[in-house]
Amino acid sequence: MKKYVFWRVVRAIIAVFVVTSIAILMVFTMIPKDKIFQQDTAQMQKLAGKPDDMTNYKYSKWKQLGYLDYQRQAEMCNSASDNYKACMATTYTTYVDEYGYEQKEYSYSEEAEKVFGAYEAKGYTINYFLSGEAYAVKEYNGLEIIFNFYKNLIVVDNPWQVQDPDNPDLERSVYFGTDANGVPALMCSGCEHNYLIYFDSNFPFVHQNIVSMNFGLSYPTYSGEQTLGVINSNQGSLVSKEQKFPNGSSGTSPNNFHTCTYKMTSTLDHMDKQKFDDNYANCNSYYSDPSMVTTSYTFGVISLILAYAIALPAGIAMARNKGKWQDKLGIVYVNIMISLPSLAFIYFLKMIGFQFGMPDKFPVLGYGNIKSYILPIIILALLSTAQVIIWIRRYMVDQSNADYVKFARAKGLSQKEIFRKHILKNAIIPIVNGIPQSIILCISGSVITETVFAIPGMGKMLPDSIKAFNNNMVITLTFIFTALSIFSILIGDILMTVVDPRIQLTAKGGD
Amino acid sequence: MENNKNIILSVKDLEVKFKVRNRVLTAIRNISLDFEEGKVVAIVGESGSGKSVFTKTFTGMLDVNGYVSKGEVWFEGKNLMNFKNDEQWLDIRGKKIATVFQDPMTSLNPVRTIGYQISEVIIKHQGKSKDEAKKEAISLMERVGIYNAEQRYNEYPFMYSGGMRQRIVIAIALACRPKILVCDEPTTALDVTIQAQIIRLIKELAKEYGFTTIYITHDLGVVANVADVVAVMYAGQIIEVGTVEEIFYTPKHPYTWGLLSSLPQLGEKGNELFSILGTPPSLFEEIKGDAFAPRSDYAMQIDFEEEPPMFKISETHYAKTWLLDERAPKVEPPKTIRNLHEKMLALTAKGGIYGER
Repeated sequence: MKKYVFWRVVRAIIAVFVVTSIAILMVFTMIPKDKIFQQDTAQMQKLAGKPDDMTNYKYSKWKQLGYLDYQRQAEMCNSASDNYKACMATTYTTYVDEYGYEQKEYSYSEEAEKVFGAYEAKGYTINYFLSGEAYAVKEYNGLEIIFNFYKNLIVVDNPWQVQDPDNPDLERSVYFGTDANGVPALMCSGCEHNYLIYFDSNFPFVHQNIVSMNFGLSYPTYSGEQTLGVINSNQGSLVSKEQKFPNGSSGTSPNNFHTCTYKMTSTLDHMDKQKFDDNYANCNSYYSDPSMVTTSYTFGVISLILAYAIALPAGIAMARNKGKWQDKLGIVYVNIMISLPSLAFIYFLKMIGFQFGMPDKFPVLGYGNIKSYILPIIILALLSTAQVIIWIRRYMVDQSNADYVKFARAKGLSQKEIFRKHILKNAIIPIVNGIPQSIILCISGSVITETVFAIPGMGKMLPDSIKAFNNNMVITLTFIFTALSIFSILIGDILMTVVDPRIQLTAKGGD
Repeated sequence: MENNKNIILSVKDLEVKFKVRNRVLTAIRNISLDFEEGKVVAIVGESGSGKSVFTKTFTGMLDVNGYVSKGEVWFEGKNLMNFKNDEQWLDIRGKKIATVFQDPMTSLNPVRTIGYQISEVIIKHQGKSKDEAKKEAISLMERVGIYNAEQRYNEYPFMYSGGMRQRIVIAIALACRPKILVCDEPTTALDVTIQAQIIRLIKELAKEYGFTTIYITHDLGVVANVADVVAVMYAGQIIEVGTVEEIFYTPKHPYTWGLLSSLPQLGEKGNELFSILGTPPSLFEEIKGDAFAPRSDYAMQIDFEEEPPMFKISETHYAKTWLLDERAPKVEPPKTIRNLHEKMLALTAKGGIYGER
């Protein structure tokens, strides 16, 4: 069993990586890389009249997103030449072209040509801005893109993480300290994060910043944020609270000081100096509303519980009274639910709910009001009842024709006891297998219901990212959903061994 | 069928019908039979003759489309056929009349422990506590021949072999100390060596616990070995009933002759085994005359016209055939079964399956 589970986990991890790699390959090589700027209209319009800035902006973005390596002349000279000044020296001569315009002809110093040559030898192509400045571009092939993605995937924070040229004396150590409120924490100087392990009043109470996953930056939607952060961090308006600052003074601030990361000395301003006495001044803030994941998950799990709370007794009652009015009524319900388009059903119920004073959109009353949740949860629950009911009924009916039921009757057990003690436990086996999946995949949200109610959840994240060519987001979601699916299936299988003693997970097939 | 005997279960004029796709099928046609306390009654007959349906009526376990259209079944001063709902049956079924089914592989709930399935009955019918029930269940398991019963108490059915599962099924059936044990082909699904063990076990337990056994079987070898009384069924009727000696050595009904001639043990090397030609009549239609007549080599004109009555041959032996009428020609049973006694003895002497007992 242990060995089997170990190998299942290994295979699961491999599968997740294979799927993610395929996604990376498809997204990065099959979508023309210019497409990613389609939604970035603001920048595109701003830079439309400045071809050099446009080129620089695009290449910088591509570099940031991992498409290619891009170096401007200054960077090239900095890293490949001993004589920076000679390398940067560019001269030009002017001439008049055939249309009568004055043009410049640039010529580069010997040192610069040498550097360019070295770069070309490394596989870069040298191009020139209109201003005469040279830049080198090296496009990565599919394998390099995948490799770079995984290379940067897991970040382990360590005291040598921060390289700040303006702060050469930065102390580098991990130590036990206390936060501004005097609560003990594992802290670090020189790491990206100030607090490695800390406690607070938010679930799950113990938090760590040591290992983090880096899926890259989101672009063009939610531009500049980490993709994980987009779906994972709280939303809404900033919440300021009265708190103690790390430098000892106190005041109101929305900052969550436990999340502070290193800020380069060159970017520190006088505002930071009011609260912080060191460089850890780049902090996340407290927001009023939960993250997209939490939102979708809350809706998903509550509606799932409700769905099972309705469907299990209903399915059991139908099976017990097979052919009687309870069964017929249930079948009518299931038929209606299956044949009705879900969108029609959602709007229908929404209208009914509206008559009873329920808000027709989630943001009307927002997170704080329980009324916002009632309609979407009822709708989500009812939408999934039909399936559960019909399967439960089917498994129960199947089982009630089994020989052991006949014998249980012969033993003198009442019909009720047989259903409760014998049939249910058998019928539930195939259902149990799917439960972890239903619970875990609540995280992906529901596209239609969330859209109809304008719920800020995960449901529309994947379609929206695909539409916007937000490549990193697509990959992030692919990775998360694949991993969760595969592991929830594994959990489902393990759960099955708990309810069905005949099923044993062994490494060898057949025994 | 005398009244001075100690009759535990008495069936009078029982008729059972089934609704099948808007048609009505008569599965049991006017059976009357008394079961004597402590005796082993074997009900034999081919598939579809109504053996199982007959016994299911005593336990209220007819399928939902079946119903008793007339007749009475008297048990402990009550007519069981007057029971209206399932709750009334709960006092009888399992508690007083227990059943062991054919297939031990599927008779037990695969996801409950053996122990749970035994003690569940003890708790239910004897009202004992969980610990007492466990103790009793373990001793029952030991009694039916399970080694290491204490350890095996918590095991699941799939960890048991077929023979052991049938022992457990028997243990469950006996857990409520029934008055009557119905064994519905208890050994059909088992291999022959296990069959003998199970049959011996039931026999021993019957003596020890003093219950009446009703065997349903088409294995005449089993019948010869265990039964006191044999009832032969054909097309929903009992056509001959008698002590085991009477049925085996002086059978009167042509169907019983056919049945006995079909014993594979009587086949001679090189010759084809005997079989009764034709098929039983359709139970959807009303049967006129003797149901077996179309297949019988001894059928007379009257057999196709009028149903024969039960002729009394001795105090214990009755048969339902016009051949016993005084106007009928004298016919002898077929040659193969005339000296069945010696043949059976010869078979058993050779160390046949049931020889040692």
